[in-house]
Amino acid sequence: MIDQETIGLLLKGVNGVTWQSLVMIGISFVLFYLAIAKDYEPLLLLPIGAGCLLANLPLSPLVASDGMLKVLYDMGVGNEMFPLLIFIGIGALTDFGPLLENPKFVLLGAAGQFGIFLTLLLALLLGFTTNEAASIGIIGAIDGPTSIYVSGILAPHMLGPITVAAYSYMSLVPIIMPPVVYFLTTKQERAIRMPYSSRKISRRTRILFPIIVIALVGTLVPFATPLIGMLMLGNLMKESGVVERLTKASSNEIANAVTLFLGLAIGSTMVGTDFLKPSTLFILVLGLLAFGLDCAAGVLFAKVLNWITGGKVNPIIGAAGISAFPMAARVCQRIAQEEDFENFLLMHAMGANAAGQVASVVAGGVVLALMGAGG
Amino acid sequence: MRRYTLNISDREFIVDVQEIDADNFEVVVGGETYQVNLASEENLAEATITPGFAPSAASAAAASRKSAVSRPAPVAAQATPTSTPAARKPAGGGKGTQTAPMPGVILEINVKPGDTVTRGQQVAILDAMKMHNVIGAAQAGTVAEVFVDAGQAVDHGTPILKFKE
Repeated sequence: MIDQETIGLLLKGVNGVTWQSLVMIGISFVLFYLAIAKDYEPLLLLPIGAGCLLANLPLSPLVASDGMLKVLYDMGVGNEMFPLLIFIGIGALTDFGPLLENPKFVLLGAAGQFGIFLTLLLALLLGFTTNEAASIGIIGAIDGPTSIYVSGILAPHMLGPITVAAYSYMSLVPIIMPPVVYFLTTKQERAIRMPYSSRKISRRTRILFPIIVIALVGTLVPFATPLIGMLMLGNLMKESGVVERLTKASSNEIANAVTLFLGLAIGSTMVGTDFLKPSTLFILVLGLLAFGLDCAAGVLFAKVLNWITGGKVNPIIGAAGISAFPMAARVCQRIAQEEDFENFLLMHAMGANAAGQVASVVAGGVVLALMGAGG
Repeated sequence: MRRYTLNISDREFIVDVQEIDADNFEVVVGGETYQVNLASEENLAEATITPGFAPSAASAAAASRKSAVSRPAPVAAQATPTSTPAARKPAGGGKGTQTAPMPGVILEINVKPGDTVTRGQQVAILDAMKMHNVIGAAQAGTVAEVFVDAGQAVDHGTPILKFKE
């Protein structure tokens, strides 16, 4: 009755197991562990882990041509819509007040993107193509949506590892950033107090800021228009105060739903045969390096500012010039407080961090322009 | 802008203080304008302004011509006659009130009047920009009074607690 063919059909799943799929399933378990036990960016790593697990099960109908994960990918990752939708939510959550109070910190945000270009050069030396190298460098800004956006255009085949690197490092900011800061600063520098100072920022300024940034950045760096446009749209909705329902929906419901879709779709790109290559390892290592270099560039530039101002800028806040808003600023505050519990430089770090948020988007646009994307 | 009318030894002074930002003020005394920078702020004791209180503060304002003063006179709203210059020691040894270092919401108060604390010991948690900041005691001593409750929004400089003399 039960012939060879029937058994073959019944065991199709078991026979479809490959060593790559087993390794990838193991990786999905690591992602689950980081998300659930370690609480590292669980909102992203858990769906990514689930996408990875589901995509690597034998025959995985979910990534077949009409599979749900494939549909999600085509719906919002392949065409860049998901990262842009998330940016509206990020804009609605970002308070540019501390930056408007201390506009000079925009320089720290710019300095914080320096590592991107150093890493780009290094990746070129290691034999990556220019497009791949640019996508890897962007990881250094620790700005997930921008990384997805840029690599989706320049190197879609590397989207999986780049996204995993960007979001893993984002969750590792509290672990990776302090050693860089400690290495580059002295105890005296870290103890420089930056007392709270604020100017009253008028509502008009807060509303005009996102509009002017859209127009200015959009004109100077057209490739950054989608990202900066959505980021500042979210911020305009927040600051205008007239569309509270839209602001809430963008920063909660829409951002949450899209985060789930994005995580699953990204996880589904981590199919063993594509993911388990030496280049993935290089991406992870180079991404980490880019992150470290971005922090270092920010800190070194803050030291220059400190020297110019005659000792009024604590170099720690330079590290907040990367993106990863607002976590980077919080880590800076924690480092400062370890040296001197009465030092509250959080608002200054927030200013540098908000600048980094904008600067990483601009850097993404500059990279796209340099690579001649879009023909 | 705030206007302070001070009576110092029966002479009346009108002091106008314009806050430019948290630590810079424009102070107008007797028709002359001074740019005043607040270098440090310590609350040495808690009291309301009384007409007779001002000597130390007024002299500070007078001394402020061009140079920065350690404390712009009119902002010394909480000073009392006891806050003579001699009592102005650095935070470590001084007695007085501890204020919020930045705007935010008090999440927790960890001490109550009568508690003895060491310098740096956690007295409160301040949520600023969604970050939980530990506020450490500015000095060792006994807590005399706590001015804020959990859940209360505070501004930069809002008194949090006062230490016993």
